[in-house]
Amino acid sequence: MSDEIKITPVNRGKRPAFFDDPAIDQLMAIVMAMSAEMSVLYDRVDTIERLLDKKGTLSRDDIEAFRPDQGVEDERNGRRNDYISRLFRIIREERETLVAHDKMDEYNALMDELAKS
Amino acid sequence: MPLQHEHDFLVTGSHDEMNRQHYVSRLRMHILNQIGGGVRDVYENRVKPAFEKDKGRIPKNETEIHKAMMADHYGRTWSTMMVNCQDMVWDSVRPAIERAQPDLNDRVRGVNARYGSVTLNPDIAMPRYLEAADIHRMPGNYHTERAVDDATQGALYDRGRFVYNGGAAGPFADGIPRTMAAYIKARWPEFKPKRILELGCTIGTSTVPFVDAFPDAEVHAIDVSAPSLRYGHARAEALAKPIHFHQMNAEDLDFEDGSFDLIYSCIIFHETSRKAYPKILEECQRVLTSGGMMAHTELTPVANMSDFDAFYIDWDAYYNNEPFYKTYTSLDPQEWVTGAGFEQDKFFQVSIPDLDRSSSDAFADSVSNPTVADSKAARVGESARWYTYGAWK
Ligand SMILES: C[S@@+](CC[C@H](N)C(=O)[O-])C[C@H]1O[C@@H](n2cnc3c(N)ncnc32)[C@H](O)[C@@H]1O
Repeated sequence: MSDEIKITPVNRGKRPAFFDDPAIDQLMAIVMAMSAEMSVLYDRVDTIERLLDKKGTLSRDDIEAFRPDQGVEDERNGRRNDYISRLFRIIREERETLVAHDKMDEYNALMDELAKS
Repeated sequence: MPLQHEHDFLVTGSHDEMNRQHYVSRLRMHILNQIGGGVRDVYENRVKPAFEKDKGRIPKNETEIHKAMMADHYGRTWSTMMVNCQDMVWDSVRPAIERAQPDLNDRVRGVNARYGSVTLNPDIAMPRYLEAADIHRMPGNYHTERAVDDATQGALYDRGRFVYNGGAAGPFADGIPRTMAAYIKARWPEFKPKRILELGCTIGTSTVPFVDAFPDAEVHAIDVSAPSLRYGHARAEALAKPIHFHQMNAEDLDFEDGSFDLIYSCIIFHETSRKAYPKILEECQRVLTSGGMMAHTELTPVANMSDFDAFYIDWDAYYNNEPFYKTYTSLDPQEWVTGAGFEQDKFFQVSIPDLDRSSSDAFADSVSNPTVADSKAARVGESARWYTYGAWK
């Protein structure tokens, strides 16, 4: 009994699309998937650097066998979080601009005032 | 964030797969907290003023807020990222589990029960609410069997749920039940249950903390989903925890009247139905000993929430395959508990601060002065307080 098992959706339903053009939803999915692959690549480089630091040599098996301990994981998470913030800056910025809007009104009022005087 | 505890049956994956999973966790937390945290700002500063300008009044309910937010590009970006990240969670754990099969099933089948047991009932009918949707978009849900004696869905849930939570519930993914058990012991120190039953245990992550908290009790756990129970049993044996798993429907338990001192559940009601919910409460009433207690941790009722918070928390109902979520959060638990035959003055409800994520003062305060947090919009896993309600029989 060694049938292959494929983990397929059973009743997931239609994938919700949020934009008027569903291609935008797809594009976002691609960007997010790509962001994951870049991070995976970075972790691989990180593993290689750590192994070289420690042993001065490398083998593929060593790389495959490397598992982060809590310290390494914490470092990687810090780097992942920074990376995500840089990547999705535009979205965060929008939020910040909105909240800072009141200040902007003040600033514009000040500009008007200064232009007059 | 902690790494997941690796018991003998956990499937993580290769070097790259594991790092991909860990990345998806961080991405999900960013979307939930940073981007999700901006949804209110966008509503207050852009969507609401625009609505007011257009209609001469502010949105009058959750539905109007929902519609307006989903017309805004920030609401759309946040939503598409949420859905996509949810799918990335399952996708990040899927290949390793497929590769681990069919060996994993063989190992689960070969488990030598030294501590507990598992009793399956192949004749059980799957409730429609579980068959109708892949809840949380998890491919195959808790119950799909893809082979004889299959445990795949258990493995998928174990690793996938940890990635989903980003480790926020601790290395054993048991933040809620650990908090509940500690709370029950702290608030009612003289309560010493001899027989404990968990409803909807899935793979027993929420059962283990009660074994630890009440070492003298006999602990039973039921679920309708066989693949989850098979895996949960193997996991419990690997962790050396005595748990008796049974495949049963919580609406219709095979246990005798008055056979458990403590019956509890962790976030199961909102995944059932309006018909099932009162039946499960009535079964609790029947199966409890007199002087026994039931306790359920669930979503906070939206009656305690603002329209915006209700919109925010009900997002999952619309887009995360949670068909009963919205109805459930609109119900008043006290009404349903008393409706199931419990006395009004035996009802309790409290928002318990998470053991790991709050100060011990806050926890102690919720013991001496139990209150329900008002209008704290939080999805499961997002909050640092757990709304728990129940009653004594
Ligand atoms: C969200 S999961 C519970 C998670 C688990 N308690 C934990 O904390 O890890 C809901 C579970 O309830 C089960 N369930 C739903 N309706 C049920 C019913 N009527 N009887 C028994 N189990 C049920 C599902 O199979 C699923 O495993």
